[in-house]
Amino acid sequence: MSWIPGRCSREKIFIAPSGPRPGRYNECIRFVHSTRIPLDPFFPNTDLDLKCPKVVIFLAKAIEVIGVSKEYTSKERGRKRVVRAVDGVDLAVEDREFVGLLGPNGAGKTTLIKILGTLVLPTSGRARIAGHDVVEEPDMARSSFGWLHGETGGRALYWRLTAMENLKFYSALQNVPSEVARRRIDILLDFFDLVKDKDKMVKDFSTGMKVRVMLARSLLANPPILLMDEPTVGLDPNTADETRRLLTALNEELGKTILFTSHNMTEVERLVGRVCIMHKGRIIADESPSRLSRLHRDSEGIDVELESELGLDEIKARVASLPQVVGVSSARELGNERVLKLQVRDEAEAIFEVPDQLRGMGFTVTGVSRSKLSLEEVFLRLTRS
Amino acid sequence: MSRPSVEEVVDLLRSEIRRPRSDLAQTWAVFVANLRIFLSYKTWVATETITTLASIIMYYFVGFLVEPDKLAVAGYGGSYIGFALIGVASTNYLWMCINRLSHSMSHEIREGTFETVISSPINLRSYVIGIAIRGFLVSCYFMLGAFLLGVYVLGAPLVLNPLTVTSAVILVLLLITSHLGIGITAAGVIMVFKKGDPLTFLFTGLTELFGGVLFPLYLLKDYGFLWTFAWVLPYTHALDALRKVLLLGEDIFSASVSYKIVILLIYSVVLLPLGLYFFRWGYDRIRREGTTTTY
Repeated sequence: MSWIPGRCSREKIFIAPSGPRPGRYNECIRFVHSTRIPLDPFFPNTDLDLKCPKVVIFLAKAIEVIGVSKEYTSKERGRKRVVRAVDGVDLAVEDREFVGLLGPNGAGKTTLIKILGTLVLPTSGRARIAGHDVVEEPDMARSSFGWLHGETGGRALYWRLTAMENLKFYSALQNVPSEVARRRIDILLDFFDLVKDKDKMVKDFSTGMKVRVMLARSLLANPPILLMDEPTVGLDPNTADETRRLLTALNEELGKTILFTSHNMTEVERLVGRVCIMHKGRIIADESPSRLSRLHRDSEGIDVELESELGLDEIKARVASLPQVVGVSSARELGNERVLKLQVRDEAEAIFEVPDQLRGMGFTVTGVSRSKLSLEEVFLRLTRS
Repeated sequence: MSRPSVEEVVDLLRSEIRRPRSDLAQTWAVFVANLRIFLSYKTWVATETITTLASIIMYYFVGFLVEPDKLAVAGYGGSYIGFALIGVASTNYLWMCINRLSHSMSHEIREGTFETVISSPINLRSYVIGIAIRGFLVSCYFMLGAFLLGVYVLGAPLVLNPLTVTSAVILVLLLITSHLGIGITAAGVIMVFKKGDPLTFLFTGLTELFGGVLFPLYLLKDYGFLWTFAWVLPYTHALDALRKVLLLGEDIFSASVSYKIVILLIYSVVLLPLGLYFFRWGYDRIRREGTTTTY
């Protein structure tokens, strides 16, 4: 095996003994492209006119953050103060992963995304996007991602240009050929319901419309990695839903890697396969939503849904008297139904015994399940502690 | 017709097509976007046009107070309106060229669009040149307007023939290149300090005073330091050459003008790389400080 040198992704490409015919440049290029690794496709001909049997791709991580810290210096009453926005973060996102990055305000999410987006230089550590070091190879890194700038909202658009002009401008910056750009712009504008407003200046747009233009813009260059900073904020429920469906499809069908931030926990729970929770500059949890929920339960428990004419307090008192039940964590009404979270001695036994005992007490049990914390509850538990 | 479905958008994005980075295409895109933004401020364009033309008319009347013989001592002939017209038009032009760059930069930082640009795979040089070209083009509009008014309405006696016009164009280009470095430096400074832009303010102020825009420089001869300082500024040389060409009919082949051309070339060669260095310095510093959108 030997390296393909040149401007291509030198960490990832090797030559192996079979595959595209020697010297067939286009064949090699097609193969490299079929892997959808964000290479600079225009590496020199001569490099690929090797005895080039087959290009074997060793996938780099889509996003790799190793011990990254970022310190900001601010002045407070004339004194210098160092704020550590990101504190030794390690994060590896595999190709085709859909990862949610959560955290309270000031947790360091935006700084981390800005480091990945090459806008902020890390104080220490290394970050790579599609295998390209964000400090040493910023141009290659920039060709690999589409970014929805969340924090700045519609500010990241030229307000005195029309939606169409904004998208054309951005596609030129992203080196999308004009005829391809034109087609993509037309369809994306149509998808985000902006066709009739495409020639209006962005300054006359509502917040939701600006977000839609930014969403279209982040997809224009069709990058393999999407950095989505609160992509559904400001969108109406229909468009937000369409956007979620689109992101899911892009991830599942086209294998886009997506790093996604949001304060909408239900949305995150629904979309992502993995959640990283940041707090005070560190990643304090990195699991799938369901595992997070299991890991952070205090004790064994079950959720019971039942129907009864009795009041909540009465129901709680009766349920608490059952031998398997240690306590009732919460009880709430949902129409005619009462939903109770019970702490139990043995979850495996309780899930069968408690419903029978409740029926024996005259309740109509409509549902029972092992209790789990919602992502929001996990988030609050982790970030409040 | 119904809106495209999620599946259609996914299909649209199945192919990954990009062309190699084209600095020319990116420069053009930056230029076009900036020009469109500029033209969207119609009131500004109108008021600035009126201000420029009004100042030319004002110097036309001031010219009645200036004795032609005294002015002729300066070596540019005896017409004050011609003398002032070249000074005012070129200084306005220069001010706009230099100022526009840092102004655009601070505007982009304030609006948040700067992040969009620098997170794209664009060569920073293309970005700066794109903005600069827009500045030059807009400035040309005002300079041309000033000259047309001065020559055809107010009767400023400029020597206009193919050789002098070509020489003037070359000198204007050199005026730009010799000052572009300062403009780019100012843009780098404004990235870091966000507001105020001391460099442009200082430079344009000094240029107006020491460049001999409205008065002949020989009046400074008795003030040794001021006289020396005046000739340190590249603008002084450019304006001197422009006046010799347009008022006296000299051209780039005459000894005094070609000497100025060499000086302007030296300034260009020295200041341009310095400007790019300071721009890079500002760019790296705001990325270190994380202030790409802080204003």
